[in-house]
Amino acid sequence: MNLEKLFNPKNIAVIGASKDKSSVGYGILSNLASGCVYRCKYCKPFPGKLFPINPHADSIFDLKCYKSILDIRENIDLAVIVVPARIVLDIVNECVKKKVKGVIIISAGFSEKSKWGAKVQKELVDILSKAEIPMVGPNCLGIINAANSMNASFAPAMPPDGKIAFISQSGALADSIIDWSIENMYGFSTIVSYGNKAMLDASDFMRYFDRDKNTKIITLYVEGINDGKKFIRIAKKIKKPIIILKAGRTEQGVKAISSHTGSLAGSYDIYKAAFKQGGVLVADTIEDMFDNAKALANMPKLRGPVAIVTNGGGCGVLCADYCSELGVPLAKLRKSTIKKIDDTKKMHPAYSRRNPLDIVGDALPERYDVAVDAVLSEKYIGGLIVIQTLQSNTRPEEDAEVVIKAKKKYPDKPIICTYMGGKFTKKASNMLEASGIPDYNDVKKAALAMKALMSGIPR
Amino acid sequence: MKQLEFKKSLKLLKKYDINFVASCVIKDESAFNKVKYPLVLKVFSGKIIHKSDVGGVIVGIKDKEEAVKAFKKLKKASKNILMQKMVSGKEVIIGMKRDGQFGPVVMFGLGGIFVEVMKDISFRVCPVTKRNAVEMIKEIKSYKILEGIRGEKGININALADLIVNVSKLSLKNDVNEIDLNPVIVDDKKAVVVDVRFMA
Repeated sequence: MNLEKLFNPKNIAVIGASKDKSSVGYGILSNLASGCVYRCKYCKPFPGKLFPINPHADSIFDLKCYKSILDIRENIDLAVIVVPARIVLDIVNECVKKKVKGVIIISAGFSEKSKWGAKVQKELVDILSKAEIPMVGPNCLGIINAANSMNASFAPAMPPDGKIAFISQSGALADSIIDWSIENMYGFSTIVSYGNKAMLDASDFMRYFDRDKNTKIITLYVEGINDGKKFIRIAKKIKKPIIILKAGRTEQGVKAISSHTGSLAGSYDIYKAAFKQGGVLVADTIEDMFDNAKALANMPKLRGPVAIVTNGGGCGVLCADYCSELGVPLAKLRKSTIKKIDDTKKMHPAYSRRNPLDIVGDALPERYDVAVDAVLSEKYIGGLIVIQTLQSNTRPEEDAEVVIKAKKKYPDKPIICTYMGGKFTKKASNMLEASGIPDYNDVKKAALAMKALMSGIPR
Repeated sequence: MKQLEFKKSLKLLKKYDINFVASCVIKDESAFNKVKYPLVLKVFSGKIIHKSDVGGVIVGIKDKEEAVKAFKKLKKASKNILMQKMVSGKEVIIGMKRDGQFGPVVMFGLGGIFVEVMKDISFRVCPVTKRNAVEMIKEIKSYKILEGIRGEKGININALADLIVNVSKLSLKNDVNEIDLNPVIVDDKKAVVVDVRFMA
């Protein structure tokens, strides 16, 4: 089935659009018309035509309102349905008659709620499958395609545009991730929340994102999977890295899910084994997943041992500890490399002369430049972690410039930064992130990112 | 679920090239005349699932006298008695169960307390490739014990991995719900199943 029009429609009908600000129908139309309910700089209106449908209104947001989708003359690509469950079947029949190319059913009250709901849900799938119309949901948040400015969901806002696709069984989790992403400049190509997965499951979306030109990494939050074997079979064929976070790992968690989405959850050990066999990276926490995704989306695969350049000895040692615990190889600096650094006569006499390369607390950008260039220019060094701690004379933004320059000069080697601190380091950190250099506020995260890059792209 | 008969179990193992330790069913004490010691005597019965719980396994039998004594003791528990060659090496467990989501799943772990107490086990979904099998052997925390410590010889990981792959093949082709190969004894040359239980 072709999912293209679900993600990239030229026009959208919102069935159940509403003027009532407290309703979901209002939120969705508002998100499409402007990009956001909560305003932020990433809000962009949907560039195509919108058709609100509500038999009790003439217009909403200055858009002409229709009584039925069948009253619209143009062909419709995508129908977003947000009406009470009891009339969804009728509405879907109208959509089939209208020959829409895709349907998102936001409405809840189906298999997750009652036997009646499960029965209707099955009917919906039968009707839409027969008509070959792809359907997301029901009981879902919707689709947010930041790359193409489409917020067909009731999420609070639109995330920054990026290279990471997020497939989430939970809509609420996706909502909070969006809020977080805006604060942290974390980019997504598309976010899809698929709720009851009546027709399309996580594996179908993975397949779509594997071909999506805006997506480099696929991240998933799943509670249960309908067909485990199918998921693994498809995952094995996906070329882009996949990172998964699975809920329902304990008996208590599984119980919570059964009452939550009505999923069948298998034992977590078996899930983990299956994911591994499918070449899927398993994340332990939400933070883990997005930290790793950031590294994989922006940096090439690590192909040799890592050097650490730091202006704080302790942080360098700590980072080296984490690297070796995680099995990230650390480079042994050769005499020729040290000579290269010595010859510049820019180093403090007490600099460490080995990995981690401690360039001493009073290091100015010039020293970072010498050290960073010296290690990256060596064939035997595969990647670099740059640590900066903030001293009275440290120049975070200029130090960031050094790393940005190095990234351009050595595009085939991963560089990960740890600009430790907060308020006074934020600007430099943002500069790094904006240039596609992952920056983490903790050295362990930098080590974890390198670990992820060991198995990075290409898979 | 019912336990598969012992003879059928052996046939199934043989069909998939899974080595079972040299064994024979014995009827009376005359069996102890022309055998090499040490040996093992154990009961086998569809009703007995955990043999050692009922004292149904006697190992390290050194001579005929001990064998006769053990035979008499076991006779009280069951009329089906098996004599096996005593093999030495590392004790591992290979199992299979069917998962609702993924179908047959193979489990691997080190024998004894490592599986029961430490839960030091690894899983793979069938079909398990040779590469998967090697990974799952190396993945357990106690792998170092299998590699051999303090000058001991390590196990033949190749033979063990082949056995795991064969269990995967067997699981995909046969209507078996659970498999317990416990223990499997593995040394630097080969991997041999010492006890088997198929639940059909």
